[in-house]
Amino acid sequence: MIQLKTMLNCIDNSGAAVVECAKVLRMKKAAGIGDRIVVVVQKQRSFGPESGPGSSVSISAANKVRRGDIRHAVIVRTAKQHQRPDGSVVKFDDNACVLINKSGDPIGSRINGIVGAELRNKKWSKILSLAPMHL
Amino acid sequence: MALNLSSTMRPLSCWKSIFRSTRCVRQLTTATPPSASTIPPRIGISALAERSLSAGPKKIKTYPPPPSARVHFKEPISDVTAAQLTTLDPTGARTRMFARDNSDAAKVGDILLVRQRNGDPFAGVCLNIRRRGVDTGILLRNQLTRVGVEMWFKIYSPNVEGIEVVQRREKRARRARLYYMRQPKHDVGSVQNIVLQYQRRSAVLRSGGEVRGRDANSGKRKGKKR
Repeated sequence: MIQLKTMLNCIDNSGAAVVECAKVLRMKKAAGIGDRIVVVVQKQRSFGPESGPGSSVSISAANKVRRGDIRHAVIVRTAKQHQRPDGSVVKFDDNACVLINKSGDPIGSRINGIVGAELRNKKWSKILSLAPMHL
Repeated sequence: MALNLSSTMRPLSCWKSIFRSTRCVRQLTTATPPSASTIPPRIGISALAERSLSAGPKKIKTYPPPPSARVHFKEPISDVTAAQLTTLDPTGARTRMFARDNSDAAKVGDILLVRQRNGDPFAGVCLNIRRRGVDTGILLRNQLTRVGVEMWFKIYSPNVEGIEVVQRREKRARRARLYYMRQPKHDVGSVQNIVLQYQRRSAVLRSGGEVRGRDANSGKRKGKKR
């Protein structure tokens, strides 16, 4: 149940760590897995150990998005339980999303963390193929 | 004078006076007690009313109710449940696995593995067994990629191919619902290692039964890992 002001984890390498939902698109009710939302980046991810000492890439260059940016995102996990047509129910411990651009392609190049299999029905197969695991 | 004038103006008004006179007669006849022997003389239009009066109220035909199905089906819901269970669980193994009176049954706190028809199994600690006849379900919790995941499965669902007990809880849980295991303090975390060990062991057992030989076993293991 993602709605206005919900804070979500961003699980791709776009540079955002925590984002806030600003708008649920094309819906009058709360959003679930596979729904598209507009988010505001609230916290940036700091690539300390990975890109800090070894590479010359600064944080601003590594992060594709910055704090305060307004982006589109797709929800990939919800803490609200979701019932499948076969009667099974899936529920995650957190709310998570992946940032996308206007045309629907993910901004980050990799996703770390499990995502819901509902993305397949909602035609987000690109995100599903990036994810290490889906359920 | 007035009657004449009105009749010339409205030629049908003479009927009105005639009807009025007949109505007076009818009132008189209804005032007399109706009996079969003394039938008053019938005058014009009032004859119809008199006939219905003499016959009394019309008899309405009634039918007996259809035979009730309740006699043959005392408890329809339990009958339907039993019929469903015979089709969905013909051997009765699933029912026994989660029966209350079975001491070897799977209980809350056990680590269970659900093999699904679509291929990817799901394992986790059983937090809850919701016994509702054919709608009986189990709630499993695990951590995948360091994110807690919970799933409900209907144990009689055709999508569930098999349920296995990976590891039993050492001591019986003293609660029926282990929702406290969601809290970080009580969370067991990922049980994926235990499940992998179990799967490897069961694969070895199975291959040991079929073919004896280290090569066959190792090949099996490689396939399992992938």
